[in-house]
Amino acid sequence: MYQSFIGLEIHIQLLTETKVFCGCINRFGDEPNTNVCPVCMGYPGVLPALNGEAIHLSYIVARALNCTLSPQAVFERKNYFYPDMPKNYQISQFSSPLGRNGWIDLEYQGKKKRIRIHEIHLEEDAGKMIHAGDMSLLDYNRAGTPLLEIVTEPDMEAGEEAELLLQNFRRTIRYLGVCDGNMEEGSMRCDANVSINLEGKGLGRKVEIKNLNSSRFVRMALNYEIERQTENLDKGVKVIQETRLWNENRDVTEAMRTKESAHDYRYFPEPDLPPFIPGAEFLARVDKGLVELPEARRARFIADYGLNETAADFLINEKATADFYEEVLKSGAAPDTAASWLQFDVRKILNRGNQELAGSPLTAQRLAQLLSLLAENRIHGKIAKQVLEAVFAEDKDPARIIKEKGWEQMNSPAELAALVDKVLAANTKAADAVRAGDEKPLGFLMGQIMKETGGRAEPRLVQKLLKEKTG
Amino acid sequence: MDVSELKITAELANLNLMEEEFVSLGREVEKILDYFSKMMEADEGSLPAGTERCGANRIRPDEQIRDINPDVLLENAPELEDRFIVIPNVL
Repeated sequence: MYQSFIGLEIHIQLLTETKVFCGCINRFGDEPNTNVCPVCMGYPGVLPALNGEAIHLSYIVARALNCTLSPQAVFERKNYFYPDMPKNYQISQFSSPLGRNGWIDLEYQGKKKRIRIHEIHLEEDAGKMIHAGDMSLLDYNRAGTPLLEIVTEPDMEAGEEAELLLQNFRRTIRYLGVCDGNMEEGSMRCDANVSINLEGKGLGRKVEIKNLNSSRFVRMALNYEIERQTENLDKGVKVIQETRLWNENRDVTEAMRTKESAHDYRYFPEPDLPPFIPGAEFLARVDKGLVELPEARRARFIADYGLNETAADFLINEKATADFYEEVLKSGAAPDTAASWLQFDVRKILNRGNQELAGSPLTAQRLAQLLSLLAENRIHGKIAKQVLEAVFAEDKDPARIIKEKGWEQMNSPAELAALVDKVLAANTKAADAVRAGDEKPLGFLMGQIMKETGGRAEPRLVQKLLKEKTG
Repeated sequence: MDVSELKITAELANLNLMEEEFVSLGREVEKILDYFSKMMEADEGSLPAGTERCGANRIRPDEQIRDINPDVLLENAPELEDRFIVIPNVL
């Protein structure tokens, strides 16, 4: 009987070399206050200068999320007094953000759903504060990091849906190469807002939730909050418009501060930065930065390569894996075989060594070579798995490994016939049983031959020879 | 400009000035205030608020600029611990 409305505010740090309004290095994890200058430390009399790459990446995201691009992106000062921002204002966008009215399509519970994006704007990140006893410690390395804020409309209804949106979004920005989407390190952050109301009555009183540093916490916090608000309304208790914090140790949201009215940030145009007007040349460069996005690639993998959904989901999850897969296919590998090797055998080895495909000894060319050796029957499946292990262990081409280790499949009929004779002679009881019509010992004899050859005998040929010689 | 106002401003700006400096600073600030009054006289007409764009976009390349050693900037902090700037606790 209640309807819930969930919206997200997602912040992503852009992968630029330097900060958005000054030439300091933009890097996580350095010694405190090493990447700072008079501009990001708010010294008087300094001038911000817009980083061309930051605005470029911002427009790429706005385009990828189907936004109407602003013909004029205006920067404004958002005034607030808190020591994480030494200037006492944050340069942000308010009246004319760079993108508006976009959307992200989701497939949620088997149905397609469109989540609208209200706006996308570029701003600077604040510094980091550590509260310790009676003092606070400030580190301004992060102050001035280009931060893109994506605000959705309250179009989602459940925690699971918000979690899915975040996962899709994260995949998209990683595909675009604009952000690494690391929620633990804070390069991607998310605040959620949720209200519930009787069906058909529109939005309820909005509660904001902060401190959500994983998509799982987003789901859990939203579902907790929907339940809490439902219980309140059932009891006739009004929901208070407020900001709550997710307590990840207790799995609850806790009141933070009551929001009696909207903050007055006294926005005014940043006098030190002229508006940015994207020209035709700039927009052409933005279009060049667009790539096939994960959802489109997933659909194409299913349609063109005949993959099932699980395989397609696995392959498209990381752009590097999807690129690798298509590189393997270019060498003529069968789509389903290549997909299955990546999904199972390769993944098993990577997980075991806790490593990534990119930068590992397995290149697309090496996997393609291995699959082609397998397809040509020069090795069989079991050996192929050993070769794969050896590629990772020895960093060599599969063909070389096979040659060095003498793993090439034995498929000379004369050689194998002699071997079959030898095994039959050594196992007369089993051989006689087969000759008498019992097929069961065939497996045992096959095993003996494989043992003799270290698994290198071509199994179909051995089977044929066994049948001939016992028939 | 009234010296008492100047003293309050100096205190807010964390400036420790000698009495004689207030006199010279007072004259400087007067000039600045006069300049602002002059600007107030200008007819802005229908000009939009904020900086006017002149010609091409003003952007800088995404390259590191390091013309001031951060350590020099940190020297101005009232208190440091390791490399953190220390302030009274604010939550």
